[in-house]
Amino acid sequence: MIEALLGFAAIFALALLRMPLAFSMGLVGIVGIGLTRGWDPALASTAQVVYETGFAYTLSVIPLFILMGNFVARAGLAHELFAAAYAFIGHFRGGLAHATVAACAGFGAICGSSIATAATMSKVAYPSMKKLGYSDSLATGVMAAGGTLGIMIPPSTIMVIYGIITETNIGKLFAAGVIPGILTALMMMGAIVYMTSKDPEHAPAGKRSTWSERWAALRGIWGVVLLVFVVLGGIYGGLFTATEGAGFGAAGAFLFALARRRLTWAILFQVLVESARTTAMLFTLLIAATIFANFVNFTTMPNDLKEWITHLGLSPVLIITAMMLIYIVLGTVMEELTMVLLTIPLFFPIVTALGFDPVWFGVLIVMIVQIGLISPPVGMNLFVINTLLPKVGLSNIFKGCWPFVLTMIFVLGLLIAFPQLSLWLPSLMK
Amino acid sequence: MKKILETVCGLLSGAALFAIMALTFFDVGGRKLLDHSIPGSFELTELLMVVVIFGAIPLVSQHGEHVVFDSLDSYLPEGVRRAQGIIVHFLIGTALIALGYLMFKTGQQFAINGDNTAQLKIDKAPFIYGMGLLSAITGLVHFGLIFKPADDLADAGTEHSGAAL
Repeated sequence: MIEALLGFAAIFALALLRMPLAFSMGLVGIVGIGLTRGWDPALASTAQVVYETGFAYTLSVIPLFILMGNFVARAGLAHELFAAAYAFIGHFRGGLAHATVAACAGFGAICGSSIATAATMSKVAYPSMKKLGYSDSLATGVMAAGGTLGIMIPPSTIMVIYGIITETNIGKLFAAGVIPGILTALMMMGAIVYMTSKDPEHAPAGKRSTWSERWAALRGIWGVVLLVFVVLGGIYGGLFTATEGAGFGAAGAFLFALARRRLTWAILFQVLVESARTTAMLFTLLIAATIFANFVNFTTMPNDLKEWITHLGLSPVLIITAMMLIYIVLGTVMEELTMVLLTIPLFFPIVTALGFDPVWFGVLIVMIVQIGLISPPVGMNLFVINTLLPKVGLSNIFKGCWPFVLTMIFVLGLLIAFPQLSLWLPSLMK
Repeated sequence: MKKILETVCGLLSGAALFAIMALTFFDVGGRKLLDHSIPGSFELTELLMVVVIFGAIPLVSQHGEHVVFDSLDSYLPEGVRRAQGIIVHFLIGTALIALGYLMFKTGQQFAINGDNTAQLKIDKAPFIYGMGLLSAITGLVHFGLIFKPADDLADAGTEHSGAAL
Protein backbone atom coordinates (compact mmCIF):
# COMPACT_ATOMS: atom_id res chain seq x y z
CA MET A 1 0.00 0.00 0.00
CA ILE A 2 2.76 2.44 1.01
CA GLU A 3 4.65 1.87 -2.27
CA ALA A 4 1.57 2.72 -4.34
CA LEU A 5 0.81 5.82 -2.28
CA LEU A 6 4.40 6.97 -2.76
CA GLY A 7 3.94 6.34 -6.47
CA PHE A 8 0.86 8.58 -6.61
CA ALA A 9 2.68 11.24 -4.60
CA ALA A 10 5.64 11.07 -7.01
CA ILE A 11 3.33 11.49 -10.01
CA PHE A 12 1.72 14.55 -8.48
CA ALA A 13 5.11 16.00 -7.62
CA LEU A 14 6.41 15.46 -11.16
CA ALA A 15 3.17 16.81 -12.66
CA LEU A 16 3.50 19.94 -10.54
CA LEU A 17 7.03 20.34 -11.90
CA ARG A 18 5.33 20.48 -15.33
CA MET A 19 6.48 17.02 -16.37
CA PRO A 20 3.86 15.80 -18.91
CA LEU A 21 1.48 13.35 -17.26
CA ALA A 22 2.37 10.50 -19.60
CA PHE A 23 6.04 10.68 -18.69
CA SER A 24 5.30 11.17 -14.99
CA MET A 25 3.16 8.02 -14.89
CA GLY A 26 5.48 5.99 -17.10
CA LEU A 27 8.64 6.87 -15.19
CA VAL A 28 7.05 6.31 -11.79
CA GLY A 29 5.60 3.00 -13.00
CA ILE A 30 8.98 1.75 -14.31
CA VAL A 31 10.90 2.89 -11.23
CA GLY A 32 8.17 1.45 -8.98
CA ILE A 33 8.30 -1.97 -10.63
CA GLY A 34 12.10 -1.77 -10.70
CA LEU A 35 12.34 -1.12 -6.96
CA THR A 36 9.70 -3.64 -5.92
CA ARG A 37 10.25 -6.46 -8.45
CA GLY A 38 13.67 -5.84 -9.96
CA TRP A 39 14.94 -3.92 -12.99
CA ASP A 40 14.86 -6.77 -15.50
CA PRO A 41 11.12 -7.39 -15.00
CA ALA A 42 10.56 -3.61 -15.09
CA LEU A 43 12.27 -3.20 -18.47
CA ALA A 44 10.77 -6.38 -19.91
CA SER A 45 7.23 -5.41 -18.88
CA THR A 46 7.75 -1.86 -20.23
CA ALA A 47 8.83 -3.16 -23.64
CA GLN A 48 5.90 -5.56 -23.64
CA VAL A 49 3.37 -2.83 -22.82
CA VAL A 50 4.80 -0.55 -25.51
CA TYR A 51 4.62 -3.05 -28.34
CA GLU A 52 1.38 -4.68 -27.25
CA THR A 53 -0.38 -1.30 -27.05
CA GLY A 54 1.08 -0.29 -30.40
CA PHE A 55 0.04 -3.52 -32.10
CA ALA A 56 -3.50 -3.71 -30.67
CA TYR A 57 -6.16 -3.96 -33.39
CA THR A 58 -9.04 -3.07 -31.07
CA LEU A 59 -7.36 0.22 -30.13
CA SER A 60 -7.66 1.42 -33.73
CA VAL A 61 -11.14 2.52 -32.63
CA ILE A 62 -9.47 5.60 -31.09
CA PRO A 63 -7.87 7.17 -34.19
CA LEU A 64 -10.86 6.22 -36.33
CA PHE A 65 -13.40 8.02 -34.13
CA ILE A 66 -11.07 11.00 -33.81
CA LEU A 67 -10.71 11.06 -37.59
CA MET A 68 -14.48 10.80 -38.05
CA GLY A 69 -15.01 13.79 -35.75
CA ASN A 70 -12.39 15.86 -37.58
CA PHE A 71 -13.86 15.06 -41.01
CA VAL A 72 -17.36 15.83 -39.76
CA ALA A 73 -16.20 19.19 -38.39
CA ARG A 74 -14.68 19.99 -41.81
CA ALA A 75 -17.70 18.78 -43.77
CA GLY A 76 -19.79 21.71 -42.50
CA LEU A 77 -22.65 19.48 -41.32
CA ALA A 78 -23.05 21.67 -38.22
CA HIS A 79 -24.66 24.50 -40.25
CA GLU A 80 -27.46 22.25 -41.43
CA LEU A 81 -28.01 20.86 -37.95
CA PHE A 82 -28.29 24.32 -36.49
CA ALA A 83 -30.62 25.47 -39.29
CA ALA A 84 -32.90 22.48 -38.76
CA ALA A 85 -33.02 22.96 -34.98
CA TYR A 86 -33.68 26.69 -35.43
CA ALA A 87 -36.49 26.05 -37.92
CA PHE A 88 -38.38 24.06 -35.29
CA ILE A 89 -37.66 25.84 -32.03
CA GLY A 90 -36.13 29.20 -32.97
CA HIS A 91 -39.39 31.10 -32.47
CA PHE A 92 -39.50 30.43 -28.72
CA ARG A 93 -37.96 32.89 -26.28
CA GLY A 94 -34.27 31.96 -26.19
CA GLY A 95 -34.92 29.95 -29.34
CA LEU A 96 -31.40 30.34 -30.70
CA ALA A 97 -29.96 29.06 -27.42
CA HIS A 98 -32.33 26.07 -27.53
CA ALA A 99 -31.38 25.46 -31.16
CA THR A 100 -27.70 25.56 -30.21
CA VAL A 101 -28.19 22.88 -27.55
CA ALA A 102 -30.22 20.73 -29.96
CA ALA A 103 -27.63 21.15 -32.71
CA CYS A 104 -24.84 20.28 -30.24
CA ALA A 105 -26.71 17.10 -29.30
CA GLY A 106 -27.06 16.19 -32.98
CA PHE A 107 -23.43 17.02 -33.67
CA GLY A 108 -22.43 14.99 -30.62
CA ALA A 109 -23.99 11.95 -32.27
CA ILE A 110 -21.41 12.08 -35.05
CA CYS A 111 -18.47 13.59 -33.18
CA GLY A 112 -16.88 12.23 -30.02
CA SER A 113 -15.19 15.40 -28.88
CA SER A 114 -16.56 18.11 -26.62
CA ILE A 115 -13.99 20.66 -27.74
CA ALA A 116 -14.68 20.06 -31.44
CA THR A 117 -18.42 20.38 -30.82
CA ALA A 118 -18.06 23.63 -28.85
CA ALA A 119 -15.57 25.09 -31.34
CA THR A 120 -17.72 24.19 -34.35
CA MET A 121 -20.89 25.54 -32.76
CA SER A 122 -19.27 28.80 -31.76
CA LYS A 123 -18.62 29.50 -35.43
CA VAL A 124 -22.15 28.50 -36.44
CA ALA A 125 -24.38 29.80 -33.63
CA TYR A 126 -22.62 32.81 -32.12
CA PRO A 127 -23.04 35.19 -35.09
CA SER A 128 -26.82 34.55 -35.14
CA MET A 129 -27.15 35.01 -31.38
CA LYS A 130 -25.11 38.21 -31.47
CA LYS A 131 -27.26 39.57 -34.30
CA LEU A 132 -30.46 39.01 -32.31
CA GLY A 133 -29.01 40.74 -29.25
CA TYR A 134 -28.32 37.75 -27.02
CA SER A 135 -26.15 38.54 -24.02
CA ASP A 136 -22.57 37.34 -24.43
CA SER A 137 -22.66 35.39 -21.20
CA LEU A 138 -25.75 33.38 -22.21
CA ALA A 139 -24.49 32.80 -25.77
CA THR A 140 -21.05 31.58 -24.72
CA GLY A 141 -22.38 29.62 -21.73
CA VAL A 142 -24.76 27.72 -24.02
CA MET A 143 -22.04 26.92 -26.55
CA ALA A 144 -19.56 25.78 -23.91
CA ALA A 145 -22.13 23.64 -22.10
CA GLY A 146 -23.77 22.33 -25.28
CA GLY A 147 -20.34 21.31 -26.54
CA THR A 148 -19.94 18.89 -23.67
CA LEU A 149 -22.84 16.85 -25.08
CA GLY A 150 -20.31 15.71 -27.67
CA ILE A 151 -18.75 13.31 -25.17
CA MET A 152 -21.91 11.96 -23.54
CA ILE A 153 -23.87 11.30 -26.71
CA PRO A 154 -21.99 8.51 -28.52
CA PRO A 155 -19.53 8.17 -30.12
CA SER A 156 -17.30 9.48 -27.36
CA THR A 157 -13.53 9.51 -27.12
CA ILE A 158 -13.50 9.59 -23.32
CA MET A 159 -15.82 6.57 -23.21
CA VAL A 160 -13.41 4.69 -25.48
CA ILE A 161 -10.50 5.59 -23.19
CA TYR A 162 -12.47 4.55 -20.09
CA GLY A 163 -13.54 1.34 -21.84
CA ILE A 164 -9.95 0.48 -22.70
CA ILE A 165 -8.38 1.18 -19.31
CA THR A 166 -11.13 -0.60 -17.37
CA GLU A 167 -11.79 -3.32 -19.99
CA THR A 168 -15.46 -2.33 -20.20
CA ASN A 169 -17.47 -3.02 -23.37
CA ILE A 170 -17.31 0.15 -25.50
CA GLY A 171 -20.53 -0.61 -27.38
CA LYS A 172 -22.42 -0.86 -24.08
CA LEU A 173 -20.84 2.36 -22.85
CA PHE A 174 -22.00 4.10 -26.02
CA ALA A 175 -25.54 2.80 -25.55
CA ALA A 176 -25.46 3.87 -21.90
CA GLY A 177 -24.67 7.47 -22.89
CA VAL A 178 -27.74 8.00 -25.08
CA ILE A 179 -30.42 8.63 -22.44
CA PRO A 180 -28.15 10.65 -20.09
CA GLY A 181 -27.06 12.71 -23.12
CA ILE A 182 -30.63 13.48 -24.17
CA LEU A 183 -31.60 14.13 -20.54
CA THR A 184 -28.70 16.57 -20.14
CA ALA A 185 -29.72 18.39 -23.33
CA LEU A 186 -33.33 18.69 -22.08
CA MET A 187 -32.19 19.92 -18.68
CA MET A 188 -29.95 22.52 -20.35
CA MET A 189 -32.98 23.71 -22.29
CA GLY A 190 -34.87 23.89 -18.99
CA ALA A 191 -32.08 26.07 -17.60
CA ILE A 192 -32.33 28.32 -20.66
CA VAL A 193 -36.10 28.67 -20.12
CA TYR A 194 -35.45 29.68 -16.51
CA MET A 195 -32.70 32.16 -17.42
CA THR A 196 -34.61 33.75 -20.28
CA SER A 197 -37.73 34.15 -18.17
CA LYS A 198 -35.68 36.22 -15.72
CA ASP A 199 -33.91 38.23 -18.38
CA PRO A 200 -36.17 38.17 -21.48
CA GLU A 201 -34.64 41.09 -23.40
CA HIS A 202 -31.28 39.34 -23.67
CA ALA A 203 -32.67 36.32 -25.48
CA PRO A 204 -35.42 37.40 -27.87
CA ALA A 205 -37.42 34.93 -29.92
CA GLY A 206 -36.51 34.40 -33.56
CA LYS A 207 -38.99 34.40 -36.43
CA ARG A 208 -41.32 31.42 -36.75
CA SER A 209 -40.49 29.20 -39.72
CA THR A 210 -43.17 27.85 -42.02
CA TRP A 211 -43.65 24.08 -42.29
CA SER A 212 -42.20 24.09 -45.79
CA GLU A 213 -39.07 25.82 -44.43
CA ARG A 214 -38.92 23.24 -41.67
CA TRP A 215 -39.09 20.28 -44.06
CA ALA A 216 -36.49 21.92 -46.27
CA ALA A 217 -34.19 22.33 -43.23
CA LEU A 218 -34.77 18.70 -42.23
CA ARG A 219 -33.76 17.53 -45.69
CA GLY A 220 -30.42 19.26 -45.10
CA ILE A 221 -29.48 16.92 -42.28
CA TRP A 222 -29.85 13.62 -44.14
CA GLY A 223 -26.08 13.20 -44.07
CA VAL A 224 -25.95 13.38 -40.28
CA VAL A 225 -28.92 11.02 -39.93
CA LEU A 226 -27.34 8.51 -42.31
CA LEU A 227 -24.01 8.55 -40.45
CA VAL A 228 -25.72 8.13 -37.07
CA PHE A 229 -27.93 5.36 -38.43
CA VAL A 230 -25.09 3.40 -40.00
CA VAL A 231 -22.44 3.82 -37.30
CA LEU A 232 -24.39 3.79 -34.04
CA GLY A 233 -27.25 1.66 -35.40
CA GLY A 234 -24.68 -0.83 -36.63
CA ILE A 235 -22.91 -0.98 -33.28
CA TYR A 236 -26.12 -1.24 -31.21
CA GLY A 237 -27.68 -3.70 -33.62
CA GLY A 238 -24.68 -6.00 -33.31
CA LEU A 239 -23.79 -5.56 -36.98
CA PHE A 240 -20.47 -3.88 -36.19
CA THR A 241 -17.95 -3.89 -33.41
CA ALA A 242 -17.06 -0.40 -32.16
CA THR A 243 -13.83 -0.53 -34.23
CA GLU A 244 -15.65 -1.51 -37.41
CA GLY A 245 -18.30 1.17 -36.81
CA ALA A 246 -15.57 3.75 -36.30
CA GLY A 247 -13.89 2.74 -39.59
CA PHE A 248 -17.19 2.98 -41.44
CA GLY A 249 -17.99 6.30 -39.80
CA ALA A 250 -14.59 7.82 -40.61
CA ALA A 251 -14.84 6.71 -44.24
CA GLY A 252 -18.43 8.00 -44.44
CA ALA A 253 -17.46 11.37 -42.97
CA PHE A 254 -14.52 11.53 -45.40
CA LEU A 255 -16.85 10.87 -48.35
CA PHE A 256 -19.27 13.57 -47.12
CA ALA A 257 -16.50 16.13 -46.79
CA LEU A 258 -15.27 15.13 -50.26
CA ALA A 259 -18.73 15.32 -51.82
CA ARG A 260 -19.33 18.75 -50.29
CA ARG A 261 -16.02 19.96 -51.76
CA ARG A 262 -14.64 20.81 -48.32
CA LEU A 263 -11.41 18.87 -48.81
CA THR A 264 -8.32 20.03 -50.60
CA TRP A 265 -5.11 18.00 -50.45
CA ALA A 266 -3.77 20.44 -47.85
CA ILE A 267 -6.89 20.16 -45.67
CA LEU A 268 -6.92 16.36 -45.99
CA PHE A 269 -3.27 16.25 -44.91
CA GLN A 270 -4.01 18.60 -42.01
CA VAL A 271 -7.00 16.54 -40.83
CA LEU A 272 -5.05 13.27 -41.02
CA VAL A 273 -1.99 14.64 -39.23
CA GLU A 274 -4.06 16.39 -36.53
CA SER A 275 -5.92 13.14 -35.91
CA ALA A 276 -2.67 11.17 -35.82
CA ARG A 277 -1.19 13.65 -33.34
CA THR A 278 -4.18 13.45 -31.02
CA THR A 279 -3.96 9.66 -31.32
CA ALA A 280 -0.25 9.63 -30.49
CA MET A 281 -0.78 11.92 -27.50
CA LEU A 282 -3.53 9.61 -26.21
CA PHE A 283 -1.50 6.45 -26.78
CA THR A 284 1.47 7.90 -24.92
CA LEU A 285 -0.92 8.38 -22.02
CA LEU A 286 -2.43 4.91 -22.42
CA ILE A 287 0.97 3.23 -22.50
CA ALA A 288 2.09 5.16 -19.43
CA ALA A 289 -1.18 4.54 -17.59
CA THR A 290 -0.82 0.79 -18.28
CA ILE A 291 2.77 0.75 -16.99
CA PHE A 292 1.69 2.61 -13.86
CA ALA A 293 -1.37 0.37 -13.39
CA ASN A 294 0.92 -2.69 -13.63
CA PHE A 295 2.99 -1.24 -10.80
CA VAL A 296 -0.12 -0.50 -8.68
CA ASN A 297 -1.40 -4.04 -9.32
CA PHE A 298 1.92 -5.46 -8.05
CA THR A 299 1.33 -3.66 -4.73
CA THR A 300 -1.28 -4.53 -2.14
CA MET A 301 -3.15 -1.28 -2.72
CA PRO A 302 -6.15 -2.54 -4.75
CA ASN A 303 -6.93 -5.25 -2.16
CA ASP A 304 -6.20 -3.00 0.82
CA LEU A 305 -8.53 -0.33 -0.53
CA LYS A 306 -11.29 -2.86 -1.19
CA GLU A 307 -10.98 -4.27 2.34
CA TRP A 308 -10.84 -0.82 3.89
CA ILE A 309 -13.97 0.32 2.07
CA THR A 310 -15.81 -2.92 2.93
CA HIS A 311 -14.89 -2.60 6.61
CA LEU A 312 -16.06 1.01 6.76
CA GLY A 313 -19.58 -0.33 6.38
CA LEU A 314 -20.78 2.83 4.60
CA SER A 315 -23.63 2.75 2.14
CA PRO A 316 -22.20 2.11 -1.37
CA VAL A 317 -24.22 4.99 -2.82
CA LEU A 318 -22.72 7.29 -0.20
CA ILE A 319 -19.22 6.21 -1.26
CA ILE A 320 -20.03 6.89 -4.92
CA THR A 321 -21.48 10.27 -4.00
CA ALA A 322 -18.32 11.11 -2.04
CA MET A 323 -16.21 10.11 -5.06
CA MET A 324 -18.29 12.36 -7.31
CA LEU A 325 -17.88 15.29 -4.93
CA ILE A 326 -14.12 14.77 -4.99
CA TYR A 327 -14.27 14.72 -8.80
CA ILE A 328 -16.34 17.91 -8.99
CA VAL A 329 -13.78 19.74 -6.85
CA LEU A 330 -10.82 18.26 -8.75
CA GLY A 331 -12.49 19.15 -12.05
CA THR A 332 -12.42 22.84 -11.25
CA VAL A 333 -8.62 22.89 -11.05
CA MET A 334 -7.41 19.87 -13.03
CA GLU A 335 -7.39 19.04 -16.69
CA GLU A 336 -10.04 16.33 -17.07
CA LEU A 337 -8.04 13.68 -18.92
CA THR A 338 -5.36 13.89 -16.24
CA MET A 339 -7.98 13.57 -13.55
CA VAL A 340 -9.57 10.48 -15.08
CA LEU A 341 -6.31 8.67 -15.83
CA LEU A 342 -4.91 9.34 -12.37
CA THR A 343 -7.98 8.40 -10.40
CA ILE A 344 -9.44 5.43 -12.29
CA PRO A 345 -6.76 2.96 -11.07
CA LEU A 346 -7.67 4.08 -7.55
CA PHE A 347 -11.46 4.26 -7.73
CA PHE A 348 -12.38 1.57 -10.25
CA PRO A 349 -11.47 -1.47 -8.07
CA ILE A 350 -13.54 0.05 -5.24
CA VAL A 351 -16.51 0.58 -7.55
CA THR A 352 -16.46 -3.00 -8.80
CA ALA A 353 -15.87 -4.34 -5.25
CA LEU A 354 -19.00 -2.48 -4.16
CA GLY A 355 -20.88 -4.38 -6.85
CA PHE A 356 -21.61 -1.46 -9.17
CA ASP A 357 -21.83 -1.83 -12.92
CA PRO A 358 -18.66 -0.49 -14.65
CA VAL A 359 -20.84 0.81 -17.49
CA TRP A 360 -22.85 2.96 -15.06
CA PHE A 361 -19.66 4.26 -13.42
CA GLY A 362 -18.34 5.06 -16.90
CA VAL A 363 -21.36 7.28 -17.56
CA LEU A 364 -20.84 9.05 -14.23
CA ILE A 365 -17.20 9.64 -15.17
CA VAL A 366 -18.24 11.15 -18.51
CA MET A 367 -20.71 13.43 -16.73
CA ILE A 368 -17.95 14.46 -14.31
CA VAL A 369 -15.70 15.28 -17.27
CA GLN A 370 -18.54 17.28 -18.85
CA ILE A 371 -18.90 19.30 -15.65
CA GLY A 372 -15.12 19.76 -15.37
CA LEU A 373 -14.91 21.02 -18.95
CA ILE A 374 -17.07 24.05 -18.10
CA SER A 375 -16.11 24.57 -14.44
CA PRO A 376 -14.07 27.74 -13.85
CA PRO A 377 -11.27 28.48 -13.45
CA VAL A 378 -9.82 25.52 -15.41
CA GLY A 379 -12.45 24.48 -17.95
CA MET A 380 -11.22 23.52 -21.37
CA ASN A 381 -14.42 24.43 -23.24
CA LEU A 382 -14.36 27.88 -21.66
CA PHE A 383 -10.79 28.45 -22.88
CA VAL A 384 -11.65 27.26 -26.38
CA ILE A 385 -14.62 29.61 -26.61
CA ASN A 386 -12.41 32.40 -25.23
CA THR A 387 -9.76 31.69 -27.88
CA LEU A 388 -12.33 31.74 -30.67
CA LEU A 389 -14.25 34.77 -29.34
CA PRO A 390 -11.57 36.84 -27.57
CA LYS A 391 -13.74 39.99 -27.43
CA VAL A 392 -16.29 38.35 -25.14
CA GLY A 393 -13.85 38.04 -22.23
CA LEU A 394 -13.31 35.13 -19.88
CA SER A 395 -15.32 36.71 -17.02
CA ASN A 396 -18.44 36.85 -19.22
CA ILE A 397 -17.93 33.24 -20.24
CA PHE A 398 -17.47 32.18 -16.60
CA LYS A 399 -20.68 34.04 -15.69
CA GLY A 400 -22.62 32.29 -18.44
CA CYS A 401 -21.53 28.77 -17.61
CA TRP A 402 -22.50 28.59 -13.92
CA PRO A 403 -26.20 27.84 -14.47
CA PHE A 404 -25.18 24.96 -16.72
CA VAL A 405 -22.63 23.63 -14.22
CA LEU A 406 -25.39 23.49 -11.59
CA THR A 407 -27.77 21.86 -14.09
CA MET A 408 -25.24 19.16 -14.88
CA ILE A 409 -24.56 18.51 -11.20
CA PHE A 410 -28.32 17.98 -10.85
CA VAL A 411 -28.28 15.53 -13.78
CA LEU A 412 -25.33 13.75 -12.16
CA GLY A 413 -27.48 13.35 -9.03
CA LEU A 414 -30.26 11.85 -11.15
CA LEU A 415 -27.82 9.42 -12.80
CA ILE A 416 -26.58 8.28 -9.38
CA ALA A 417 -30.10 7.94 -7.98
CA PHE A 418 -31.51 6.15 -11.05
CA PRO A 419 -28.86 3.85 -12.59
CA GLN A 420 -31.46 2.55 -15.03
CA LEU A 421 -31.20 5.84 -16.92
CA SER A 422 -27.76 4.60 -17.99
CA LEU A 423 -28.22 0.84 -17.88
CA TRP A 424 -31.56 0.27 -19.57
CA LEU A 425 -30.38 0.72 -23.18
CA PRO A 426 -27.22 -1.45 -22.80
CA SER A 427 -29.40 -4.19 -21.31
CA LEU A 428 -31.28 -4.36 -24.61
CA MET A 429 -28.12 -4.85 -26.67
CA LYS A 430 -27.44 -8.12 -28.42
CA MET B 1 15.22 20.24 -39.76
CA LYS B 2 11.86 21.02 -38.17
CA LYS B 3 10.23 21.13 -41.59
CA ILE B 4 11.69 17.76 -42.55
CA LEU B 5 10.42 16.26 -39.30
CA GLU B 6 6.95 17.73 -39.86
CA THR B 7 6.79 16.47 -43.44
CA VAL B 8 8.23 12.99 -42.95
CA CYS B 9 6.39 12.21 -39.71
CA GLY B 10 3.19 13.86 -40.99
CA LEU B 11 3.23 11.83 -44.20
CA LEU B 12 4.09 8.64 -42.36
CA SER B 13 1.40 8.88 -39.71
CA GLY B 14 -1.25 10.56 -41.89
CA ALA B 15 -0.92 8.04 -44.72
CA ALA B 16 -1.01 5.15 -42.26
CA LEU B 17 -4.16 6.53 -40.65
CA PHE B 18 -5.86 6.95 -44.01
CA ALA B 19 -4.84 3.39 -44.88
CA ILE B 20 -6.40 2.06 -41.64
CA MET B 21 -9.62 3.89 -42.45
CA ALA B 22 -9.78 2.57 -46.01
CA LEU B 23 -8.77 -0.93 -44.94
CA THR B 24 -11.45 -1.12 -42.23
CA PHE B 25 -14.09 0.30 -44.58
CA PHE B 26 -13.41 -2.13 -47.41
CA ASP B 27 -12.78 -5.09 -45.14
CA VAL B 28 -15.98 -4.63 -43.12
CA GLY B 29 -18.01 -3.67 -46.18
CA GLY B 30 -16.69 -6.69 -48.06
CA ARG B 31 -17.33 -9.02 -45.14
CA LYS B 32 -20.85 -7.83 -44.40
CA LEU B 33 -22.09 -7.18 -47.92
CA LEU B 34 -20.14 -9.52 -50.19
CA ASP B 35 -19.12 -12.16 -47.69
CA HIS B 36 -15.51 -11.56 -48.69
CA SER B 37 -12.98 -9.90 -46.37
CA ILE B 38 -9.50 -8.57 -47.11
CA PRO B 39 -6.96 -11.26 -46.13
CA GLY B 40 -4.77 -10.19 -43.20
CA SER B 41 -6.62 -6.92 -42.66
CA PHE B 42 -6.44 -7.31 -38.86
CA GLU B 43 -2.70 -7.67 -38.80
CA LEU B 44 -2.20 -4.92 -41.40
CA THR B 45 -4.22 -2.61 -39.17
CA GLU B 46 -2.05 -3.59 -36.20
CA LEU B 47 1.14 -2.79 -38.10
CA LEU B 48 -0.29 0.48 -39.42
CA MET B 49 -1.32 1.50 -35.91
CA VAL B 50 2.34 1.35 -34.90
CA VAL B 51 3.16 3.71 -37.77
CA VAL B 52 0.34 6.13 -36.85
CA ILE B 53 1.28 6.31 -33.17
CA PHE B 54 5.06 6.33 -33.34
CA GLY B 55 5.14 8.40 -36.53
CA ALA B 56 3.19 11.16 -34.81
CA ILE B 57 4.86 11.14 -31.37
CA PRO B 58 7.77 13.39 -32.48
CA LEU B 59 5.17 15.89 -33.75
CA VAL B 60 3.26 15.81 -30.46
CA SER B 61 6.48 16.64 -28.63
CA GLN B 62 7.53 19.25 -31.18
CA HIS B 63 4.19 21.06 -30.78
CA GLY B 64 4.17 20.74 -26.97
CA GLU B 65 0.92 18.80 -27.08
CA HIS B 66 1.46 16.35 -24.23
CA VAL B 67 -0.96 16.75 -21.34
CA VAL B 68 0.67 18.92 -18.70
CA PHE B 69 -0.53 20.34 -15.41
CA ASP B 70 0.06 24.00 -16.12
CA SER B 71 -2.24 25.69 -13.61
CA LEU B 72 0.75 26.98 -11.65
CA ASP B 73 2.38 28.63 -14.67
CA SER B 74 0.93 32.06 -14.11
CA TYR B 75 2.24 32.11 -10.51
CA LEU B 76 5.82 31.17 -11.37
CA PRO B 77 8.51 33.64 -12.43
CA GLU B 78 9.98 33.16 -15.88
CA GLY B 79 13.33 31.97 -14.48
CA VAL B 80 11.69 29.13 -12.58
CA ARG B 81 9.65 28.08 -15.61
CA ARG B 82 12.80 28.17 -17.73
CA ALA B 83 14.59 25.91 -15.23
CA GLN B 84 11.55 23.61 -15.15
CA GLY B 85 11.59 23.37 -18.93
CA ILE B 86 15.27 22.49 -19.05
CA ILE B 87 14.99 19.78 -16.37
CA VAL B 88 11.78 18.29 -17.75
CA HIS B 89 12.95 18.14 -21.37
CA PHE B 90 16.31 16.71 -20.32
CA LEU B 91 14.59 13.97 -18.30
CA ILE B 92 12.08 13.14 -21.03
CA GLY B 93 14.74 13.21 -23.74
CA THR B 94 16.93 10.82 -21.77
CA ALA B 95 13.97 8.53 -20.97
CA LEU B 96 12.89 8.39 -24.62
CA ILE B 97 16.36 7.63 -25.92
CA ALA B 98 16.59 4.87 -23.30
CA LEU B 99 13.19 3.60 -24.47
CA GLY B 100 14.49 3.68 -28.04
CA TYR B 101 17.42 1.48 -27.00
CA LEU B 102 15.05 -0.87 -25.13
CA MET B 103 12.82 -1.24 -28.18
CA PHE B 104 15.88 -1.77 -30.40
CA LYS B 105 16.95 -4.66 -28.14
CA THR B 106 13.38 -6.00 -28.20
CA GLY B 107 13.41 -5.77 -31.99
CA GLN B 108 16.64 -7.80 -32.08
CA GLN B 109 14.91 -10.46 -30.00
CA PHE B 110 11.97 -10.50 -32.43
CA ALA B 111 14.40 -10.80 -35.35
CA ILE B 112 16.26 -13.71 -33.74
CA ASN B 113 12.98 -15.50 -32.97
CA GLY B 114 11.71 -14.76 -36.48
CA ASP B 115 8.41 -13.42 -35.05
CA ASN B 116 5.95 -12.57 -37.80
CA THR B 117 2.25 -12.00 -38.32
CA ALA B 118 0.03 -15.08 -38.40
CA GLN B 119 -1.56 -14.75 -41.83
CA LEU B 120 0.64 -12.59 -44.07
CA LYS B 121 3.92 -13.65 -42.41
CA ILE B 122 5.20 -10.07 -42.24
CA ASP B 123 8.25 -9.71 -39.97
CA LYS B 124 7.47 -7.70 -36.85
CA ALA B 125 11.07 -6.81 -36.05
CA PRO B 126 11.32 -3.85 -38.48
CA PHE B 127 8.27 -2.29 -36.86
CA ILE B 128 9.77 -2.69 -33.39
CA TYR B 129 13.02 -1.15 -34.66
CA GLY B 130 10.87 1.69 -36.05
CA MET B 131 9.28 2.19 -32.62
CA GLY B 132 12.77 2.43 -31.14
CA LEU B 133 14.05 4.81 -33.81
CA LEU B 134 11.06 7.15 -33.56
CA SER B 135 11.18 7.10 -29.73
CA ALA B 136 14.84 8.12 -29.91
CA ILE B 137 14.04 10.85 -32.46
CA THR B 138 11.35 12.14 -30.08
CA GLY B 139 13.99 12.16 -27.36
CA LEU B 140 16.17 14.33 -29.58
CA VAL B 141 13.21 16.65 -30.19
CA HIS B 142 12.98 17.15 -26.42
CA PHE B 143 16.72 17.88 -26.22
CA GLY B 144 16.14 20.50 -28.91
CA LEU B 145 13.30 22.00 -26.86
CA ILE B 146 15.69 22.64 -23.95
CA PHE B 147 16.91 25.69 -25.83
CA LYS B 148 13.44 27.19 -26.39
CA PRO B 149 12.33 30.17 -24.28
CA ALA B 150 9.97 29.54 -21.33
CA ASP B 151 6.93 31.09 -23.00
CA ASP B 152 7.26 28.76 -25.97
CA LEU B 153 7.59 25.82 -23.60
CA ALA B 154 4.31 26.73 -21.96
CA ASP B 155 2.59 26.00 -25.25
CA ALA B 156 -0.70 24.42 -26.03
CA GLY B 157 -0.33 21.25 -24.01
CA THR B 158 -3.71 21.22 -22.35
CA GLU B 159 -5.37 22.75 -25.36
CA HIS B 160 -4.48 19.79 -27.50
CA SER B 161 -5.39 17.25 -24.87
CA GLY B 162 -8.81 18.82 -25.15
CA ALA B 163 -9.03 17.66 -28.75
CA ALA B 164 -9.31 14.19 -27.30
CA LEU B 165 -12.14 15.29 -25.07
